Amino acid sequence: MNFELSDEQKMIQQSVERFVQDNYDLNTRISLSSDDLGYSDDYWKSMAELGWLGLPFDESDGGFGGNQIDVLVIMEQFGKGLVLEPYLASIVMGGGALKKGGTESLKKEILPGLVEGTKQLSFAYAEQQSRFDLEDVITSARKEGDNFILNGQKSMVQNAETADHIVVVARTSGGQIDENGITLFLIDAKSDGLSMDHFPTVDGLRASEIILENVSVNVDRVIGNVDEGFEILQSVANDAILALSAEALGAMEVLYKDTVEYTQQREQFDHPMSEFQVLQHRMVDMFMEYEQCKSMLYRATMESVQDPKSAQRTIHGLKHLIGKSGLFVGENAVQLHGGMGVTEELRVGHFFKRLLVIDAMFGNADHHLQKFTTY
Amino acid sequence: MDIELSSEDLTFIKEVRAFFEENKIKKDEDYFTWRNNWFEKAKKKGGWDVPKWPAKFGGPGWTPTQHYIWEQETTKATIPFDIPFGLGMLAPILMGYGNEEQQERFLPPIRERTVNWCQGYSEPGAGSDLANLKTKAVLSEDGTYYTVNGSKMWTTLAHVADWIFCLTRTDDSGIKQKGITFLLFPMKQEGIEVKPIITLGGAHTVNTVHFTDVKVPVENRIGEEGKGWTYAKGLLEHERTGLAGLSRSLFELENLKDLARTVTRGNSNLMNDSGYKAKIAELEIDLMATEYTELRSLASASAGAELGPESSILKLKGTEIKQRIQKLTVEASGIYSPAWGEKSIGFPFAKGGTTGYLNSRYFTIYGGASEVQKDVIAKKVLGLTKRSSK
Ligand SMILES: Cc1cc2nc3c(=O)[nH]c(=O)nc-3n(C[C@H](O)[C@H](O)[C@H](O)COP(=O)(O)OP(=O)(O)OC[C@H]3O[C@@H](n4cnc5c(N)ncnc54)[C@H](O)[C@@H]3O)c2cc1C
Repeated sequence: MNFELSDEQKMIQQSVERFVQDNYDLNTRISLSSDDLGYSDDYWKSMAELGWLGLPFDESDGGFGGNQIDVLVIMEQFGKGLVLEPYLASIVMGGGALKKGGTESLKKEILPGLVEGTKQLSFAYAEQQSRFDLEDVITSARKEGDNFILNGQKSMVQNAETADHIVVVARTSGGQIDENGITLFLIDAKSDGLSMDHFPTVDGLRASEIILENVSVNVDRVIGNVDEGFEILQSVANDAILALSAEALGAMEVLYKDTVEYTQQREQFDHPMSEFQVLQHRMVDMFMEYEQCKSMLYRATMESVQDPKSAQRTIHGLKHLIGKSGLFVGENAVQLHGGMGVTEELRVGHFFKRLLVIDAMFGNADHHLQKFTTY
Repeated sequence: MDIELSSEDLTFIKEVRAFFEENKIKKDEDYFTWRNNWFEKAKKKGGWDVPKWPAKFGGPGWTPTQHYIWEQETTKATIPFDIPFGLGMLAPILMGYGNEEQQERFLPPIRERTVNWCQGYSEPGAGSDLANLKTKAVLSEDGTYYTVNGSKMWTTLAHVADWIFCLTRTDDSGIKQKGITFLLFPMKQEGIEVKPIITLGGAHTVNTVHFTDVKVPVENRIGEEGKGWTYAKGLLEHERTGLAGLSRSLFELENLKDLARTVTRGNSNLMNDSGYKAKIAELEIDLMATEYTELRSLASASAGAELGPESSILKLKGTEIKQRIQKLTVEASGIYSPAWGEKSIGFPFAKGGTTGYLNSRYFTIYGGASEVQKDVIAKKVLGLTKRSSK
C-alpha cells in the first residue's frame, strides 16, 4: 500500500502548482475567459513545452507514457486555478479516444501535433435526448462506398471552436439505446456540412452545438471497429470523469481553505466569525467531504490503472460523490462568505460555478447513483 | 379544528379571480400603461393596490385569511411587478413612527408608484451584525440638518432609486443598538456615488453607495434621534415572514413538474425517472407540511394571538424549499445547465434555471442568514443561552 507520488510526479505537481499560482489569479482568468479565444495560446504552448500535453500518451506516439495518475496530478492543480486551456477536451477526451482506438496511421497523423500543442481535438458525444446516457445515440452514419455519411446533432461539445478535428460518436447500426452499433469517427472540423453554434458556459468556458448534414468521412477515419465504439466511448468517459473529479478536488480544496481564512478575518458581533461553533462544524464538514472525495478519487484512479473493467462501479461512486460533495462545499463556501460569496469579485463564486458545471458533465450525482445500484 | 373556508372567503376568492381575469394584459398593450391602469382599478376596489396597508391608510383591511387567499391567487395570475422597498418596508415604518406631515408627504407617491426607494442598512462591516453600522450623521449646530458620511453596501436597486431610507450613526458612546438614527433623503444629489456590484448570475442589482457630506434636513428624520434601531427592527421581522414565499413555491413546484415532463428519458420523461421523482416527492412533502405551518401561524394571527413558535421556522423552511426547487430545475436541464450567454441552448428553461439556482443562494443570506435565524429560535423559542465567552 503506497499513496505517495513518484519523484517525477511530485516534480510535475510542483511545476503545475507554480504555473497556476503565477498565471491564474482571478482577474487574469476573467480576462482570458472573455477574450476571443477563451484561453491563452501562450499558456497552451508552455504546457506543451513543459511536457504536460504529452504526458498520457505512449512514447511511440511522442508522449511520455503516463497514465491516469499523472493526469490526476495535473488536473487537481488545474482545479485550483480553474484553468481554461482545453486539456480535458483535447488531451484526455479527443486524444484519449485516438490512443485507445486509433489506427497507427491516425495516431501518427494527429498525436505528435497534439503533444506539441499545434493541433487540437474535441469530443462530441452528447445529444439532446440522451441526457447522461452514453449509449443513447441518434446521430447516424450510413456507409456509402468508402465513406460514411453523418447526419444529426451533437450537444454541449467542448472546445469545438478551436479544434482542428472532432471525434464524433454516431450510430452505424442498432436502436437508439443499443450499446452495439456505435462508431467513433475523426472528422475534420472544417468538413462540408458541419456547422457549429458556439456559446459560453456559466463557468467561463465555451461549448458548441454541432449540426452534421451529410458530412462525408472516409472509412479510414473510423476510431476502433465499426459498431464497437461503445467500449472506447465508455473508457474515454471514465478517464474524463477521473480527470474532472481531480479538477473538482482542487476546486474544493480552494473553497474550504478560502472559507476558513475568510471567517478568521471577518468579524461580526465583535468576534471573528470562525469562533461561531456552528460555522466551525460546517467547515469541518466541508473539509471532511473534501477528504472523502480525495479517497474515492484515489481509489477509482488506482483501480482504473489496475483493471479498468472492474473499476466501473467505483467510477460511478466517485462521480456521485464528487457531484454531491462538490455542491455541498460550493454552496456552503458561498453561504459562509455571506453577500461577498455571491459576487463575481471573490473567487469562491467562480469555483462554485465550476463545480456546478462539473456535476452536469458526464452524468450528475443522481445519474451515477442509479448506475451504481445496477451492479 | 376545521379547514373549511367561510362563505365570505369563498366569495372573496371569486371576486379576486374575476378581477385578475378582467384586468389581464391584452395582446399588444403597452406594459406600463397597463400597469398604471391596473393599480388605478385595484385602488377603486377599495385599496387592492396596497393590499398589506391597514385600512386607516387606505388599505383593504383584510383578514389574515383574505391575505392568504390573495397571496395564493397572485402567484397564479399575471399582475404587474412591484418593488418592495417603499411599499412593503418603508411604508409600515412611516405609518408606525413617522409624523403626520411625513406620512402625507411620502405615502402617496409610494402608493402611486412614482417614487422608487432603496434600503440603506447594510455596510461593509455591518451585515448580519447590522447594529455595527458606522455611516455617520452629524447634526448641524443650529439643529436644522444632518451631514452624512460613510458607505452602504448591497443596496438593491440604488442605481435606479429616487430616495433612500438609511440607518445612520449619530452616537457611538453607548451600546451599538443605541445611537442609530433613521433618515430619508434623495439619491440624486451631490455627494452620493453609486457603484455596481455584479453578482454570480452576472446581473447588476446590488450596489455600494458612498456618502460625502450629504445634507439631510431634520424634517427627514423618522422619530427620535438615536431610536432608529427600534423602528428598523420591527420592519426586519416584517421582512422575514414575507420571505418564505410559500404560495410562490407551490406554484413553482407544479411548474417544475411540467418542465420535467418535457425532458425525455428513454420512452418516457424525467418525471418518471425514479431518482428524480423521489426528490420531487420529498420536496413536495416538505412543502405540504410548511404550508400548514404557515396556516397555523395565520390562524393564531387571526385569533389575535401572539405569533406562535411555528412562525419562526417559516423563513428557514421557505427559503430552503425555494433553493431546492431551483436545484431540481438545474438537474432537469441535465447536460444543458451550463449553457450561458444570449442564445437559448437545449431546453428553453435551462439558462433561467441555472440563473435561478445561483440567485437562490442569496435567500439564506439576506433578511437574516439562516444561522442567525436559528440563533434567534434557540434563544427566543427554546430559551437557550449561549456559553459565555469567558
Ligand atoms: C442579493 C442581495 C441583496 C441585498 N439587498 C440589500 C438591500 O437592499 N439593503 C440592505 O441594507 N442590505 C441588503 N443586502 C445585505 C444583506 O442583508 C446582508 O448580506 C446580510 O445581512 C448578511 O450580511 P453579510 O453579507 O455581511 O454576511 P456576514 O454577516 O459576513 O455573514 C456571513 C455568513 O456568516 C454566517 N453568520 C453570520 N452571523 C452568524 C452568527 N451569529 N452565527 C452563526 N453564523 C453566522 C452566515 O452563514 C452568513 O451567511 C443584500 C444582500 C444580498 C446578497
